Amino acid sequence: MHVIAQIPFLAQIATQEEILQHQYEYLSIGWTAAWVVLAVYVLMMVSRERKLKREIAGLKAMLEERQK
Amino acid sequence: MREKVLYALGIGAIAILVWNINAIARLPEETQQGVTFKIIFFHVPMWICAMTAACAALLASVGFLATKNFKFDAAAVAVTEVGLAFTSAGLVTGSIWGREIWGIWWTWDARLTSALVCWLLYAGYLMLRKAVEDPTQRATFAAVFSIFAFIDVPIVVFSIKWWRTQHPQPVFWGGGSFPPDWNLHFVWNMFAMLMLGVVMVAVRLRQEDAQREIDALRRTAHAL
Repeated sequence: MHVIAQIPFLAQIATQEEILQHQYEYLSIGWTAAWVVLAVYVLMMVSRERKLKREIAGLKAMLEERQK
Repeated sequence: MREKVLYALGIGAIAILVWNINAIARLPEETQQGVTFKIIFFHVPMWICAMTAACAALLASVGFLATKNFKFDAAAVAVTEVGLAFTSAGLVTGSIWGREIWGIWWTWDARLTSALVCWLLYAGYLMLRKAVEDPTQRATFAAVFSIFAFIDVPIVVFSIKWWRTQHPQPVFWGGGSFPPDWNLHFVWNMFAMLMLGVVMVAVRLRQEDAQREIDALRRTAHAL
């Protein structure tokens, strides 16, 4: 057994710190997950925007070619 | 000019959220749930954004059916898609919160189940749009489906009042309250998320315009 765990007062402090650390872990996971979900959606929108711009440019070029 | 304003608003919203993370981290712990309770600063604003988007989708769908104006259809798809992103984030943050406090990732109680059904309905709405080719038919079917999907929204919101659920009663209209400094940061996060949502909807609306331009160009190409 660890020496801290043998002294009740110190053991309690260690446990509280562990709990706090555990809670901070979950809090950071939760916040990160929220950001990741939104970031993924923004990236999807950016990629769609590029695709749409490419498609418009391609179609306009094709129409100009046909009209010549 | 409009693009610059949009990007400025988006960057402003992200700046508020980043600044707020720092401020929220320094707030004191909640008495029962400790630090984990601070997930509320993201979880609840995300759900409020999602439910606001669902209301906007309902209004836009009714607007389309009443006027047959495709701008309403574009608005409906834009807010639904952004709302779905917020719903996904709300479900994920809720699940992580539940794992820490209840010891489980998921439970089939009325709130969580109706929220998942809401996600499925709006995902179904977007899939339906991809399945129908004709623009008028697509917009009409989608508008009717969106109105039908909205039936689930009051169930999601009031489920915790109507039934006994694992999900706790709401903080703000369930008799609880925040300390004033918590309130301030919550309101800032709420404001920033709504601002971010508005920017996303505006960008998505612009993409719908681009899609209509592509459809028109394709029709011209066919005619030539």
